[in-house]
Amino acid sequence: MKSGIEKKKARWGWFFVLPAIIYFSIFSFFPIINAFRTSLYRWNLLSLNPPRFVWFENYIRLFQSEAFWNSVKATAIFTVGTFSSLLIGGLALSILIFSRKRFRTFFQMALYSPAVLSTVVAATIWLLILDPRGLGNSVLNAVLGTSGKDYQWFANPDMSRISTIIIYFWKYIGHFTILFIAGLSSIPYTIHEAAIIDGAGPWKKYWRITFPLLKPTVVLVCVLSLIQCMKSFSTQYLFVQSGAPRAPIDVLTLSIYDTAIRDHQIGRASAMSIILFLTLILFSWAQLRLSRSEEVSFQ
Amino acid sequence: MSRADNRLKNTARSLREIVFDLILLVVLAIVLVPLVFMFTASFMESKEVLTMPYRWIPSSFHWENYVQAIQGNDMKYFYARNILNSLIVAITVTLTNCVFAAMTGFGLAKYRFFGKRAVLILVMATMMIPFETIMIPLYMLVNNFGWQDSYMGLIMPFLVNAFGIFMMRQFLLTFPEDLLDAARIDGLNELSIFIRVVIPNSIPAMTALGILTFRSQWDSMLWPLLVTQSEEMKTIPLYITKFTTEKYTNEGALLAAAVIASIPLFVVFFSLAKYFIQGSSVFSGTKG
Amino acid sequence: MKLKGMFLVGILLICAVFAATIELTVWTHEDPNRTLLEERYIEEFQKLYPEVSVKRVTYPSAKIKETVLTAFSAGKGPDIFNMEVQDEYPYIVNRRVAPVNPAALGYKNVEEIYAAYLEGTLDPVSYQGKLYGVPLEITNWCIFVNTRYTKALGLDFENNYPKTWEELMEVSDKLTLRNGEIITRRGFDFRYPYYLTIFTPMVEQMGGYLLNKEGTEAIINPQAWVEVLTFMKEWGPSGRNLGSPTYTAARKNWNKDDGSIVMIESGLYQILRLKAENPELYESKEWMVIPWPVFENAVNHVKGNYYGHYYVVNAQSSPEKQEWAWKLIAYMLKHTGEYFEEVGLIQPTYELMESEVFKNFPYANVFMEDMSQAGCVLLHQAGPRLEQLIREAVESVMLSGVTPENAVKTLKAKATEVLEDY
Repeated sequence: MKSGIEKKKARWGWFFVLPAIIYFSIFSFFPIINAFRTSLYRWNLLSLNPPRFVWFENYIRLFQSEAFWNSVKATAIFTVGTFSSLLIGGLALSILIFSRKRFRTFFQMALYSPAVLSTVVAATIWLLILDPRGLGNSVLNAVLGTSGKDYQWFANPDMSRISTIIIYFWKYIGHFTILFIAGLSSIPYTIHEAAIIDGAGPWKKYWRITFPLLKPTVVLVCVLSLIQCMKSFSTQYLFVQSGAPRAPIDVLTLSIYDTAIRDHQIGRASAMSIILFLTLILFSWAQLRLSRSEEVSFQ
Repeated sequence: MSRADNRLKNTARSLREIVFDLILLVVLAIVLVPLVFMFTASFMESKEVLTMPYRWIPSSFHWENYVQAIQGNDMKYFYARNILNSLIVAITVTLTNCVFAAMTGFGLAKYRFFGKRAVLILVMATMMIPFETIMIPLYMLVNNFGWQDSYMGLIMPFLVNAFGIFMMRQFLLTFPEDLLDAARIDGLNELSIFIRVVIPNSIPAMTALGILTFRSQWDSMLWPLLVTQSEEMKTIPLYITKFTTEKYTNEGALLAAAVIASIPLFVVFFSLAKYFIQGSSVFSGTKG
Repeated sequence: MKLKGMFLVGILLICAVFAATIELTVWTHEDPNRTLLEERYIEEFQKLYPEVSVKRVTYPSAKIKETVLTAFSAGKGPDIFNMEVQDEYPYIVNRRVAPVNPAALGYKNVEEIYAAYLEGTLDPVSYQGKLYGVPLEITNWCIFVNTRYTKALGLDFENNYPKTWEELMEVSDKLTLRNGEIITRRGFDFRYPYYLTIFTPMVEQMGGYLLNKEGTEAIINPQAWVEVLTFMKEWGPSGRNLGSPTYTAARKNWNKDDGSIVMIESGLYQILRLKAENPELYESKEWMVIPWPVFENAVNHVKGNYYGHYYVVNAQSSPEKQEWAWKLIAYMLKHTGEYFEEVGLIQPTYELMESEVFKNFPYANVFMEDMSQAGCVLLHQAGPRLEQLIREAVESVMLSGVTPENAVKTLKAKATEVLEDY
């Protein structure tokens, strides 16, 4: 009898899941399998000749190519830079906001507001701000007390990296803060209280008690944002379009796009995207694995 | 503990609070400066946008920037239509996403069935696919269905999103089992339970997901560029790109177009902000 | 009898159905003035041939490459399209576009087409003895000067304009205004990042080449490359700080006469854009066009490369569609004069060159004089990648402090690697 109910429930489970699975098979799995197949060919997008099957030649050539490793480096720098600044900034801001009694919602909303702008709009604004005659130089000159110095927001390789990170930080800091505050709110109040009664100072309290409890939030946010950062495309794309040197911000997605669209080498581009895809899976898996071993729970 | 001691502690605390407030305000100012810039510069002549030092208040208000942004350089008012398109696409995708995410998430969170783990892994893997990777195969697909230059073409590839499913699953894992059982005893079948019990109780989470989905659709640029051809089918980001590259556009009008593009999002976000902030606990993971 | 009648009606119906199904798609880049013209031509064409319906689609010029490519890779390319000729070249080499149909274009044979256009101007779309397109426009760049600023400095451009790059640098230095390091007014600045249009001819002036004749070796005569890169270094922020690729594209501001740029590189169409956008400056005559400069000790007297947009036809469209496509192209392009007068596009037919309109047009002679000493932009499947590499070299020298010698070494190594792929 029970197994009958179980069976029925299992059928319902499939009923709920099936539409999405069918959808994904058509719009995600089929294309990605297609991309994997393509990556084994030497394939010029425009050529009418049948593409040549070359096994893993595309992958081998990528690993030997300087440009590919430069892209890996650019992606790594961007991801680490954005990711760590968002994490630290988000945590700090969430604690600051959480410790206040009033205006919590206001601060969260205000910080989130840049995320509301679309990328094209954000890029339009920032390109004007970072223009040599723009607001960026004016403000920095005023703050640092220099006069007429050009900080070369796009021009200098290091600065262009920093600029992309700043834009990303600006855009997503609000979201991170909201997530961390949500995490903080879900920690039972009694635990905070217990800490205070124990006489723990505020900083000690955060590091010893709050932070470990926040860890699941941090891990999940990390996984999601890491994926987001590694897939970042449009900011770098718009930078290069408006004259910034390419090499320092030639992230993998940009390189994939150009290899396919500009160079017509769809085989190699697919190989790159499969590598990116596998890396993303590996990272997320590793992060989730690492976190699971020390999962916190509070009853 | 003497009273003086206590007072000292209180002053220390209020001092700390002031410092915290200051830090917050500075960060806030930095975050908001670009927005203020967009708004003020949208009224300026192009010459003034890049003057040094920047004038925060336009020397005269050029409302014609907004007129130009709405009319377009060809006076054909395509922007209105493009805003409408963006709204149609973003709203549809948001609704379907929320429904499918809740449905699939519910299936994954509350039922045991053969292959569930595999399904979960597949959903997770889908989240990792970079869009550029599947762009061309997807394009061929949409073409084969004959969806070029249509709402179908703009909407179909984004109907269901793995991220949403994952989030709703996380949320629904903590959904009280008693509520479901009570409904079962009342004789509801699983689908009605989903519609009458699960959905009404997931509104904050779905709102949060909805805002994120709406935002990313509003933002989408690469795909609409590929599937739309006629001016009537284009979306806001395409209009702005086009407007940027046109020779008659000045910076002020460009920013005016940007302000117009941002208004619906601000309206959506600020009217739903409460739910969004509430619902974000879904994403915090502590409930998983 | 009755049966026969029905049969006839049937045939007519079928014909009507088929006739109405000729649907042509034209993809082209955005150009508001030209859109007005071409939409009118298309309307007229559709009235003339009711069985044809035409859908004309415009894309931002920076984006048309990717949309056409994606469409073609999916086998759904438009029937007619145009792009810059170096981007069309891979389509020709890969036989994705069809050879011209002289009859549909209104010529007796291909030779007659070649005879109608200025010598050499069809070469970019000729491949292995076949002709693949007809020009919508051919453009070369000269230097536009806003003489209000030069006069203010007492420079007499009417009688003595800078003829060499070195002179141009001196003049620019005088014209440039700065706030500290930040340039608020540039004298002249290059049209980055069109390096295959502006940079390789500068190298050629010094006797260097991007590729050898066979296209098998890259960066010929590195010394010439070093010299031109040294000039660019001198131009950039680490040298005399006269300009850099990261400032707003100069040509956008020039028309506005907003005091941020005095001289730019642009084509003849700029004159009509100026007329439309800033009639005041246009009428004031306080602007002029001077020839593209040459290095002082140049060994080749070449000018900036010309590029072109050619209308081409999708080879995968049905033969019937192809024929109608060429007919439509012919119908549009027969208005050579209007294209020139209204949009400033030069379709290099002898007919246009000899017309009064052209001869009387301001500065047309300056452009044509330079054109006669100009080559075509590089046509090679690796073109865009090589342009990217040149861009990296120039930027590394101007912005990142790399020495010209090292930049050329890197450029040569990378360009050689790129060539191996083709």
